Parts: sequence; C-alpha cells; structure tokens
Amino acid sequence: MTPIEQYLAPATLDEAVGILQQGEVTILAGGTDLMPQSKAGRLAIKRTLMNIRRIPELKGIALDNDAIRIGALTTITEILNDPLVKEYLPVLADACDHFASDQIRNAGTLGGNIGNASPAGDTLVPLIVLDAEVELASKPNGSVTTRRLPLAEFFTGPGRTKRAANELLTAVRIPLPKAGHVARFFKFGTRPALDISAISIGIAGVIDNGVISNARVAFGAVAPTPIRAARTEEALEGRRLDEATIEAVASAARDEVNPIDDVRATAWYRKELIHNMTKRILDHVAQA
Amino acid sequence: MNVAEKTHFIEADTLIGKRIQKKDAPEKAAGKTRYIQDMVLPGQLHAKILRSSRVHARIVSIDTSAAKALPGVHVVLTAADVPDQQPIGVARDHLPLKGERVRSLRDEIAAVAADSEEIAEAALKLIRVEYEDLPIISDPQDALKPGAPLIHPEPHGADGKHLHLKPNAPIAFAGKPDNIAMQFDYTHGDLAQAEAESDVVFEDTFKLHYVTHCCMGVSGIIAEFDASGNLLMYSNTQVPFLHKREFAEYLHMDPSRIRIIQPPIGGGFGSKLDIYPFEVICIFLARAAQRPVKMVFSREEEFLASPTRQPVLLTLRSGCKKDGTLTFRQVHTLHDNGAYTSWGATTPFVMMQTFSSLYRVPACDYHTTAVYTNNPYAGSFRGYGNLQATFAIEQHMDMLAEAIQMDPLEFRLKNAQDAGEVTGQGMKFKSCGFKECLTTAAERSDYQAKHRDNIVHRGDAGPVKRGIGIASMLHVGGGAKIYPSDGCGTILKLDDFANVTLITGASEIGQGSETVLSQLVCEELGLPISAVTVVNNDTAITPWDVGVHASRTTFIAGNSAIGAAKKAKAKILAAAAKKHGCDETALDLRGGFVIKADTGEPVVELARLMRNLHFSDKAELVMTTFYYEPPSVHQDKGFKGDVSAAYAWATQVVEVEVDTDTGIVKMTKVTGAHDVGRVLNRLGIEGQIEGGVVMGQGYALTENLIVDNGVTRNPNFRDYKLVTAPEIPEMDISFIESMDGEGPQGAKGVGEAPSICIAAAAANAIYNATGVRIFALPFTPEAVYRALHGKAEKPQLQAWKVTTT
Repeated sequence: MTPIEQYLAPATLDEAVGILQQGEVTILAGGTDLMPQSKAGRLAIKRTLMNIRRIPELKGIALDNDAIRIGALTTITEILNDPLVKEYLPVLADACDHFASDQIRNAGTLGGNIGNASPAGDTLVPLIVLDAEVELASKPNGSVTTRRLPLAEFFTGPGRTKRAANELLTAVRIPLPKAGHVARFFKFGTRPALDISAISIGIAGVIDNGVISNARVAFGAVAPTPIRAARTEEALEGRRLDEATIEAVASAARDEVNPIDDVRATAWYRKELIHNMTKRILDHVAQA
Repeated sequence: MNVAEKTHFIEADTLIGKRIQKKDAPEKAAGKTRYIQDMVLPGQLHAKILRSSRVHARIVSIDTSAAKALPGVHVVLTAADVPDQQPIGVARDHLPLKGERVRSLRDEIAAVAADSEEIAEAALKLIRVEYEDLPIISDPQDALKPGAPLIHPEPHGADGKHLHLKPNAPIAFAGKPDNIAMQFDYTHGDLAQAEAESDVVFEDTFKLHYVTHCCMGVSGIIAEFDASGNLLMYSNTQVPFLHKREFAEYLHMDPSRIRIIQPPIGGGFGSKLDIYPFEVICIFLARAAQRPVKMVFSREEEFLASPTRQPVLLTLRSGCKKDGTLTFRQVHTLHDNGAYTSWGATTPFVMMQTFSSLYRVPACDYHTTAVYTNNPYAGSFRGYGNLQATFAIEQHMDMLAEAIQMDPLEFRLKNAQDAGEVTGQGMKFKSCGFKECLTTAAERSDYQAKHRDNIVHRGDAGPVKRGIGIASMLHVGGGAKIYPSDGCGTILKLDDFANVTLITGASEIGQGSETVLSQLVCEELGLPISAVTVVNNDTAITPWDVGVHASRTTFIAGNSAIGAAKKAKAKILAAAAKKHGCDETALDLRGGFVIKADTGEPVVELARLMRNLHFSDKAELVMTTFYYEPPSVHQDKGFKGDVSAAYAWATQVVEVEVDTDTGIVKMTKVTGAHDVGRVLNRLGIEGQIEGGVVMGQGYALTENLIVDNGVTRNPNFRDYKLVTAPEIPEMDISFIESMDGEGPQGAKGVGEAPSICIAAAAANAIYNATGVRIFALPFTPEAVYRALHGKAEKPQLQAWKVTTT
C-alpha cells in the first residue's frame, strides 16, 4: 500500500471535479466499503484521498420535474426516512431496510453503494428496475459538464463502472412511477439484515387490467455485476399473472442467470433461489 | 450514623435468588473498562507474528536480514534464535516457532518486536521464507490410510540433533510414526447381550463442523522481565495458576519468578484454557528486547490462529426394546485434531459421559481416535464435546421413539434417571432434576400436542413448515477432577468499616463470578453487595485455583468463599459474644449489625465492633482463609469414577419454521428447563442461559468456519455468520431447583449447559416440520434446502473400523 500523499476535502462540486481532473484520486464518502477494502488490501488508495462529504450539491432528495433526484451523498438512513421515497419509491425503501446495520446505514451513501459496484449491492437491483440513471460530473475543459447514463448500463465488472477517472457521481435520477406501477425487492442472506446477499431480485412493471407492461427484472449476486434479465422480462411482458406465466417467468429467470460457487452459496442453490423467490414475489403480486 | 435507634429490629432478608446487577456492568457499559488492548506500558514494544503461507511444507530457508535492518525494529526471532524452546500443548507436539516444517496455515515462522504495530507489520513483509511443499491431509479419514503422509515424522535436522534425544522425548522432538494423536476407549455392560435384546437398532454417522469462539476480546498478552529476571505477564488466560507452572517449564524458570496479572477479559468460553505459541513467542521477544512487549491479535488473526470447537465424525449405534427401554449405545468417533494437539482432542472425556450416562443405558462402548491433519487445531469450547455427543444421541432418541411408535417425551421419561442413581461410568447423581426438566420444558412449550399436530400438517399447502424438537443434556455441575486438585482458595478480610475484600483464585472472564461470589459472602455476613471488593486477577496475591472451566466457578469458588466467610462470621460472633456477655449461638449477622438471632434486635453495629477489635489492647483484625476441595474423585484407567461433585441437567425445546423454498430455518422459540440446583443471581443466570442459547443457535444454524484443503476461507464477521439480534428466538426459561447438598446454597454449575442441546433439538424440530433428518451441522439454508431435495450427502465414517480393535 502506497501512503496517501494528500487528503483533500473540497467544499464545492466545482472544486471537487477540478481535483479529479488532476488524476490519481480516491473518493471517500461514507467510507463503509472503502475502509475495510483498503485495509484488507483489495483496494489501493491512490495518491490523493478526497473527502466529498462537505459538498452541498451532492446532498438531498428532491422532485425534479418528472423524476426524483437523490444526491450521491444521501445516506441509506436518510433514504429510508424520506417521505418522497416512501410515497413514490417504496421498493427502494424496502431495500434500504435490508441494508447492513444501523451504524453502516448512517454512514454509507447511495453514491458509494453504486460506486462500489458490488454485484450484491443492495440498492442496485431496485434502482435498475426503477429505470434509474446516474448523473456524472466532470471538468475536462475548465467548466463543469454533466452526463447521464442508465444505471443498468453503468456496471462493467465487480468494482468497475463506466465512470471515468475524472468524473464524480453526483446523483441518481429516478423517473416518477406511472399509475399502476408495482415494484418488489427480495434479498436472500442467512440473516434478515447485516448480511451480503446470496442473491437479490428486483421486479417491476405497470399492471393495467391484470396485464403487465414495462416489465423490469434485475438480479444481484448472480453475475459479475447486477444484471437486467431481458429474457425473464420478455416472459413477463404483456402477460397476466396466472400460474402458468409465473412458472414460465421463474423458469426463465433460473435459466437466464449464470452464478458462481463461493463461500456464501453454490451456483446450483443460487439458481434454485432465483426460481423459487421470483415465483414467490409474483405469487404475492398476483394475490395482492 | 445512628441506624440502630430507628431500626429496632432488623428483618431477615436474603440475597439468594435476587436479580443483582453484575459488579463490572457500569464500567463495561460506560466503555471505561481497560482491557489488555487499552494498556500501554512505558517503553512497550509491539509484536507481530509471521505465519506460514503454505498449508504443509518443509522450510528451506528463512531470511530476516531486511526485517532486522528496518528502522524501529528491535527484535526479529525465528526458531534458530531460540534453540531452547520447548514444545507446548497437551501432547507436547508443538514448538512455538517452526524452524523445520509448517503443518498448517496458522504456523508461526518468525516474530518481530518494533516501536509500532505498523513497523512490525512492515518488517514481516520483508521476511523471505522459502518452502518446499508437502502433500496436504485435510480429510481426517485420509490421515489413517496406509501410506498417508506423516504430519509429525521424526525430525531430520541437518545437525542431527534428534540423535541426542532421550527415549521418552516429546513428539515435537521425537516425531510420531503414525497420524494418531490420541485414542480413548470406554466400555460398560455386556454389549453383545444388550444388542441381542434390542428390538430396534439404528446406526448413523453424524458430522460436526468447525466453529470458533468469537470472543469480543481477541487474544492478547504483554510480557515484561524486570531487572532481576522476573517475568510479569498481563494475560487473558482462564487458568493463571496452571499456566504459571507451565510457562516456568517452557522457559526453564523457577515458577516463583513468574507472575500473571489478568486485565479484564473480553470473553473466554474455553478459548483461553491452553497456552498458545503467541504467548511463548511474546515472552521470547520480551526476553530478547529487555522491554515490555505487547502482542494483540487482529480479528482475522483471531479467526485463523485461535482454536476451534472440535470437529467430529461420529458413528452411533443405539438400540431399544419395544417397551421403550434403552439397551445399548456404541460409538466410534474420528476427531480431526488439526496439526497440533490442544484440548479438543480430550473432548472424549465429556462425550463419553453423555453416551454412558445421559439416560439409563445398560451397555455402552465408546471409542475415539484423534488424528493429525493440516487443518486448524481444536481447543476447548463451552460444552467441551457435549454439543457433538448430544446432537447424535438426541436424534437417535427421537428415531428410536418413532420406530417403536412411542411419544418422544414418554420414551425419554422412561429412560431418565432419578436422584440416587449411579451410572455405568460411576457418576453418582446426588441431586437430579432430569425428569422435572423434561416435563417442565414439554408442558410449558405444549410439546406433545405441537409435535403431533406438526406431523399432521407437514403436507399442507404453503412453503413454511412448523416443527418442534426436544433434547436434554447432562454435564458436570460441581467441577471436574481432572488435575491433582479441583480446588479453589479464598482469603477474606474485613476492614475497620466492615467492608470486605474477597481475594479469590477464581478468574472473572465475563461470566459474573465476582458478583455471585460477593453475594455468597454477603449472605453469610449480612452485608450489602456494595460492601465487597473482589481481588481475583494476580497470581502474586490470589490463592490457587485450577481455573475457569467445567462450569465450576460458582460451585467450587462459591464453596470456598462461603467457607472463608463462615470462618469470619464465627470469629465476629465470638468476639461480639465476649464483649456483650452473651452466647455466640444466640447471635447472628444482618443488615450490617450483630443481632440477636431470635428477635433481630441489633446488638452492635458491625463496623463499630470491627474497630473495637482493631483498636484495643489485643488488637485483632478479621482475616480468614479457606481452601475448598470438592468430594469428587479421579477417574480410573477405564474412565470410571464420580468425577464431579454434582451434575447439571437441562431440557430444551426448540420451535422452528422451515421455509422449504429457501431452506432457511427460523428459530422461533426456545423453552428451557435447567436443573441449576438453586438460582443464586437470577439476573446473572438468565443472562448466562440466554447467551448460551444464542451460542447454541449459532452452532446449529449459522456459524461455520469453512476450512477448505487446510485454508480457512471465511476469517471475518462478514462471512462467518454469528447470530444477530433479530434472529434471537423468544425464550421461556424455567429453573428447576434441586437444592444440591454439596452446592453453595444448593447451586450447581450452569455455564456450559445452555449451549449444549440447541442443535440437537433443532435437528429434531426440522424433522418434525419436514420429515427430513439431517445428520450434519450446520443447518445453513443451503444445507437444509439440499436435504429437503434429497441432495444432502449422508456423512460416512469408515476409518475407525480399520484402526481400532
């Protein structure tokens, strides 16, 4: 581990992206992933450690036209307690309710959970089925520019994303769900919380007269990144939630994922869980 | 203070059975307790150990030159630097620093003492070790195969030093011609006849996994030599007096020059019952540096290098008659000893007691072979083999009951012992609340009705199945005579203000002994708990005690404390009688006063009496000593004998919900009935039982140290799953007060008991819910799901048939 040469704590976004532009920067927000990973030698902190917690632009949850914008620095606890989230995005609140422990929720941020790009990150699967986009800011030519990317396309591997080294993840934008929108999250670990998912499932769609449209299915911890499951979505799109459809969707899900064996579960068991829990989620939606 | 005038008569009161807050609770809750981690001695160095990066290998070379050259490094040691090192451990097979061969990943190769932990860490990275890999034994069954690689072959040092060995040299010097670390054989009754009389016989193999203690306080030590060469150790040991003697042997020192002080200990559970290489190495470093040296494990190191519970492969044959009478038990176990022998290998002492004497068994035949492998080595852990034994027995009890179509509770009651019985192994049950434990736990949980109903509802729609399971345990409750003495000494003094200093050999490791011992003393002397100061952590001050193990402290140290208090009381009353011209038998102590025993009328304030005694012509202080040795006996060569002064019993009923879609088992309720002799501190005993239940729950459902080809794959709390608050079940605990005649105020030991039955009862509950019996622990969701889908591998054990007669 090379020693950290400088520690910076910018107070504005402009300042922060300026520092990033100079290169060799590790970003610190809540620190709940960064610290244990660097200590364990899995992640090397670069020459500059930049604490972004003093930047006001990165905080808060607000309505922004037809979307909800959640600042990257928003903690998991703040999301859990936010009235906008409760009203429009209950599936995200549900995921936050299964997220680690109170202490970690108080420190850990949404931007950090996304930036850490764990295939098992608890907020990623629900955000993907909510069609969330990430907002990235940079200062390549002396002025701040931003771009947006769908979250479903953001991850490229464990710990890797399409964020360029000079970019800062500033916020997540989630379109306001339409009438009839339903979304569910399920996480499987040995313990109800304070556990890394063996698998996680997000399912969303709009139900109109019993027919599902805009079907979204995403899985966590079954691939190098959280994934959107196109074939499973296809099995769900435009269908009624009858027994045959549910079984077809669950089977499609099992076939579509390609997990690995690790200390937490075998691939076979993960596929079984994906099938059984996809079925259970859809059964519950059908009965509701 | 003129209390006497207001209180003309002092009402009789007792502290026994009350809810008394632990004396150390405020300090701990406020974060003010100074553990060894918090201690900083002037001039102190920090030490780190370089461990093997190979599971089994010959060490070709070790180069420490770069580490020694690093600024801030004071000492770097390898085996070559301590040619006088002696082997440690039960079998003397373990040299603290390995010079010739590493046998597991935890093995110590070099150690550094430096100005800071960071420098010590950096120095470790500069040490170059060249290895030559050797074949790995990770399956204990492979260790017994003909031609298996030897874990402790005769050393072949280039200097040929082994040639100078005496014939009885320890294994570490002389080697071992096979991989058998230890064997135990026990038998009573006529096995063949008992088997012939059986109507039903089951034979199954059970597999018990690795778990580890996870003490909040990780292992640590500070060692320091004074200018005269006396050694002072700040140590977390549970057995200071045994260790003082052993260290003296390892260090070629006079034991009187070794002093052990125990800072507050953050949990032991058996893990601090043996001497480990890190302790000896730290002393070597302190000797070389001539400075205090502190060594504290990281959490990962604690997972990798502290002992585990003994993993066991166990084949049990059990039989009974159609009328429900048990006939026999035959047991063969294979203990995975790991690379070195610690207390884990001796768990058969406890396991055979459970096989021979939990329920009335006319014939019992028990055999254990403990074998060397390249895995982590097992130590002692709360329950000491009894969780493993009970897991097998209590599943067979259910299976036998089902086979003869008898209610599982009735079957157990038919074979349960009563007070006064002597078992085949020679254990005498002077007090025995076993049947009351069974009926109480069953009634309070509505066991019989639920057990029947759950079977009826197994086939109902819906993924979640409910189950209820019962299991019981027998454990020593009055110490265990393993060492020449199982005793404990007490020194007690009263000061001029009638405050008591209780100096006891018994260590406090978080179990609440300070509080319960204070309570017992105050009960004799009629004083409030606040009047007692306990001194219990310094071998230079406290009288001898064998240590914290075998659930013995309340019983043994309690009787010792009562003995000293009774002597003090006799002295006080005699003095009071003489001074006030009355008969001492008419006097008593109550509420801080000498009183008239019949009326409660105060005679003199105790503090005043103490001062009168002290500041008189014949100045006298009240100071007494007492040594209690329990009336237990050593076992004979066949492991028979009444090894404990009392025996504890418990029945636990576990209720579960099994989600058949995921395999997750939710423990919803535990109903326990514990024969504890008598409740002394109700708050303390509730806490100890609740904590024990949760530890048993972890063993049953979530905890699993995954050792894969000698490599521990989950040395952290992320992947080693302790039970957390939301999963803790509802608990209904009843105390059966059998009032043991020898116990302090009637009490028996309870420390280990609550962990023992949970896994066994959970296994029976899962069967009750699903009709699927699982023979291997732990019941993690995937293991249960596999079993429910017929994909569980049934454990097999073949090796014993080849190697034992």
